[in-house]
Amino acid sequence: MAFPAVAVYSFLYLYPAIQNLLYATERWDGVTKPEQVGFHNFAHLATDDDLFMKIVGNNIRFTLIVVIFQTAFSLLFATFLLKNTKTTILLRVIYFFPTILSSVSVGLIWTFLYNPNFGFINASFKAIGLDGLALNWLGDTRYSLYAIAVTQVWFHTGQMVIIYVAGLQQIPADLYEAAEVDGASRWQQFKSITWPMALPTTAVVVAYTTIQSFRAFDLVYSMTQGGPLNSSDLIVTSIYNTAFASFKYGYASAQSVVLILVVLFVTWLQRRTLRIDYGVK
Amino acid sequence: MLYKVFKNSLLTLFAMAVIVPSSIVVLGSFKKDNEIYSDPLALPKSWSFNNFRTLITEGNVFTPFKNSVIVSVFSVAITLLFASLAAYGIARMVTITGRLLFLLFSLGLAIPGQVNIIPIYHLFVKLHLTNSLLGLILVNIALTLPISIFILTSFFKDIPKEMYEVAGIDGAGHFRIYRSIALPLSRPALGATGIFLFVICWNDLLYPLMLITQLDKKTLPLTLIDFRGEFATSYSMLFTAIMVASVPMIAMYIFMQRSFIAGLTAGAVKG
Amino acid sequence: MTTKGMKSLSARRLGAVATIAFALVATSITTGFAADPSFGKACTTEGVSTGTSSTSLICSVNSAGKLTWTNVRLGQSTGSPVAALKASPGTIEFHHFRPEDKAVFASIIAKFEAANPGTHVNQVIMSSNDYTNLGYAKISVNPKAAVFVTVRGGQFDQFYNGGMMRDISSDRFVRQNVIQSALTPATVGGKIYGVPYQSLFNDPLYNTEMFAAHKWTVPTNWTQLLSFCKTVKAAGIIPFAWPAATRGNAGQIMNSFLMNSAPDVATLTSRIQAIDTGKADLTSDWFTAIANKYKAMNDAGCFPANVTGYNDTVAPADFANGKAAIYPTGTFGMSTVTNLNPAMKGKMKLMSMITVDEKPLYQGITNNTFILSVNKKATSRDQNIARAFISFLTTAAAAQEYAVGTSQHVSIINVNYSANIDLLNTSDIMGKKLLLAPRFLFNNVGTVRNPLEDALIAIGGGADVTKTLADTSKTIKQSLGA
Repeated sequence: MAFPAVAVYSFLYLYPAIQNLLYATERWDGVTKPEQVGFHNFAHLATDDDLFMKIVGNNIRFTLIVVIFQTAFSLLFATFLLKNTKTTILLRVIYFFPTILSSVSVGLIWTFLYNPNFGFINASFKAIGLDGLALNWLGDTRYSLYAIAVTQVWFHTGQMVIIYVAGLQQIPADLYEAAEVDGASRWQQFKSITWPMALPTTAVVVAYTTIQSFRAFDLVYSMTQGGPLNSSDLIVTSIYNTAFASFKYGYASAQSVVLILVVLFVTWLQRRTLRIDYGVK
Repeated sequence: MLYKVFKNSLLTLFAMAVIVPSSIVVLGSFKKDNEIYSDPLALPKSWSFNNFRTLITEGNVFTPFKNSVIVSVFSVAITLLFASLAAYGIARMVTITGRLLFLLFSLGLAIPGQVNIIPIYHLFVKLHLTNSLLGLILVNIALTLPISIFILTSFFKDIPKEMYEVAGIDGAGHFRIYRSIALPLSRPALGATGIFLFVICWNDLLYPLMLITQLDKKTLPLTLIDFRGEFATSYSMLFTAIMVASVPMIAMYIFMQRSFIAGLTAGAVKG
Repeated sequence: MTTKGMKSLSARRLGAVATIAFALVATSITTGFAADPSFGKACTTEGVSTGTSSTSLICSVNSAGKLTWTNVRLGQSTGSPVAALKASPGTIEFHHFRPEDKAVFASIIAKFEAANPGTHVNQVIMSSNDYTNLGYAKISVNPKAAVFVTVRGGQFDQFYNGGMMRDISSDRFVRQNVIQSALTPATVGGKIYGVPYQSLFNDPLYNTEMFAAHKWTVPTNWTQLLSFCKTVKAAGIIPFAWPAATRGNAGQIMNSFLMNSAPDVATLTSRIQAIDTGKADLTSDWFTAIANKYKAMNDAGCFPANVTGYNDTVAPADFANGKAAIYPTGTFGMSTVTNLNPAMKGKMKLMSMITVDEKPLYQGITNNTFILSVNKKATSRDQNIARAFISFLTTAAAAQEYAVGTSQHVSIINVNYSANIDLLNTSDIMGKKLLLAPRFLFNNVGTVRNPLEDALIAIGGGADVTKTLADTSKTIKQSLGA
């Protein structure tokens, strides 16, 4: 029964992934014949490419911020919006709304909001007297990455809220009723009922957000193109530029192999620290 | 009391964070540029459809919209079919094969599909699948299979064993159980996954950006990127372009939001 | 009209070191010429010309030392212009990076299609940033892209090396409709692989009305430039609307910094090539001096606040709406400005941006670019449509419609600029000593020029010069070694 899935997946996912490993051992500009260079690309990445190290660092910071805030916000909002009333449904509809926009639209809108000269965000800060917070969001190496992370959280929190609501609604209501009778506070209820019962959902949310953050491309591409000075460059934008703008296909493939390793490591770390069971029960 | 204040202000704040930028876009599409710069949230001095007229006469929006619909609908439908079959297989096969299969697809969950962009690009050049909607659909299916299988497998596992076994005793084959028990029971899960996938396919930029150059094969995100170049100096036109590109999706969302969200949540409770 | 033999084109990239590629040579005439009515009454600015046709006029100094109208002498093509080729029915794509020109091209294409029933040309337009980075990867896999455009230098080389360009040397329209000296950037080993359609001037535009109202004069050396910035800023106006957040346009200003940075053009070329190939560091005295000037401009208040977030959307708008005095990009930015504010028509001129105090070597920048080529990987039928389309674009009528409609000078002969006041107002730059834009001597755009320009942008935005140059230099070297 799994045959069609396995076939497509093998041909267009696993096979390219293996191909990637082969490319990663070559020096190739896409025009002339590829040249075998063994582990040179990896050696160069590891020892002689400060920029790529910086980009990996960027991506890890980006992922941490997005995973923490997106998961926390969506869990919080989901607990607020758990009951099906007119208001909660309306709010869920509103929160989910950004998800249906294309990422290019979101990038364009937020580029406008962040504009240091006439953007809405700085105008609002100035209007309430917080001139000090009117920063050069996308144009300053110190803020660009975080500015994009905020956009990413804005973009996808609604989606995670829906997943959490679905998960939390499966928790039997009598658990909370019993806790209430016992006089448990909201925090105690959250700690002893919601959190453990929602763990499987959290597993999905965290795993999904992690992958989403490591494959982030669209927002960076449409907001800063990685700049200024690569301060908002992420691994996929780097792969993309190395391959298609600098024509180093082999070197870019080596970067994708590193991306895989980083993602595997981070997922493993998450499993350990959160003790989330991804596997079959 | 304090909790209520906290809760309500937080909920309002995030709602505003969504509503305000959206209003800026909607209002901006009716305005002139300097009106947007001076006060983005003010109502337009006069409601004019000039921007829309310019956009529709200058840019062809219909073709990319059609392409996006074709790519998204086919990608989602085929992925759901393939993924549910595989997930059912995995969920029901307690043997080593099932575990291996799950592991295989989990690998895909851990490898972001974006890393395959270089080999896929060269493979598709060889197969003449660049500038082809079929190519995009194939890529989408491959990219979204792991996550779909992951979601659906856990769902199929949650269906009580007895329900499968009852059918099994009746002598029904796997396909029959899949069709008459697993599928109907998992309609909410399929719906949820479908929406998930639809959003991914609809928004994807990276692969179309690399694989599509031909004008008549462009999808909406690509067209928006073009608009960004074309109207680089005009936010009123950019906002109009965003409106035109999003309105069909928004309409669909408003129209189907009950089945979108209510189905998702209520279904999950029942499931 | 006299004709001139073709230059030897065997020396590749000769044009890179040539000074004025687009030279309009003026000869005095005895008969009195009435100035073109749309041109203004008197000839007041040296170098202003009305076009490239045999009846065009140029304002030049006569033997008595007075400015007079003289006749433009053409010496640029090898014969009389020829009519456009006929195209067979079919549909091709025309890929370029000038969204601003879409409407004008659409109108020219409509005429081409009317003259060739059943033939269709679809424009596919990328932003110039995207085109720089992705043009090759995308067009090389699209045989429908029968006509495509490249910029002089690295991008032309890339397409040429990829075997994408058809040799069009033997096409008569190439020899007879195009100013021959302009063909150099598209010539390899004596063979011509494209028509550089535009004759650009990558020099800052300034608002003449504003300058007159404030009694400002164009600074003529570096010290004046910095004090000019202080004066303008004190008046509450942005001196230079530098679109630093959009690399493609922010990089234009580098041309002006480079043009007088070396004792001669050969030295400049070799220094640029040394950086381009990783033999030299950005921390060299020469490049550090350039970077320091970006910093000095920022310190003098030449740029708007938060300039690194100041993009292509804001900069021309500020210039068009009288919030900025100078828009430092080039003639190709004029149509954007007049689209944003039609009242700017006739109020823009080009300035020589002199960044040294000693006598400058060059007074401005020019560029023969927007090279139209036929895709060798297209079907032969599509290639013929492509040739016909390019030949159509090189007819005087189409080129004039393009020039007048987009406010850009062209390298096609017999074009009359007098219907576009902005083209007239900026033509005086042709009378100055111009350098072919050195920015396009960098061939490694992705690995070298992009990070280098990013560094200059950051420095122009206040980043530390030494650290930024050292870091970027390291990145470039590591990246070249990968």
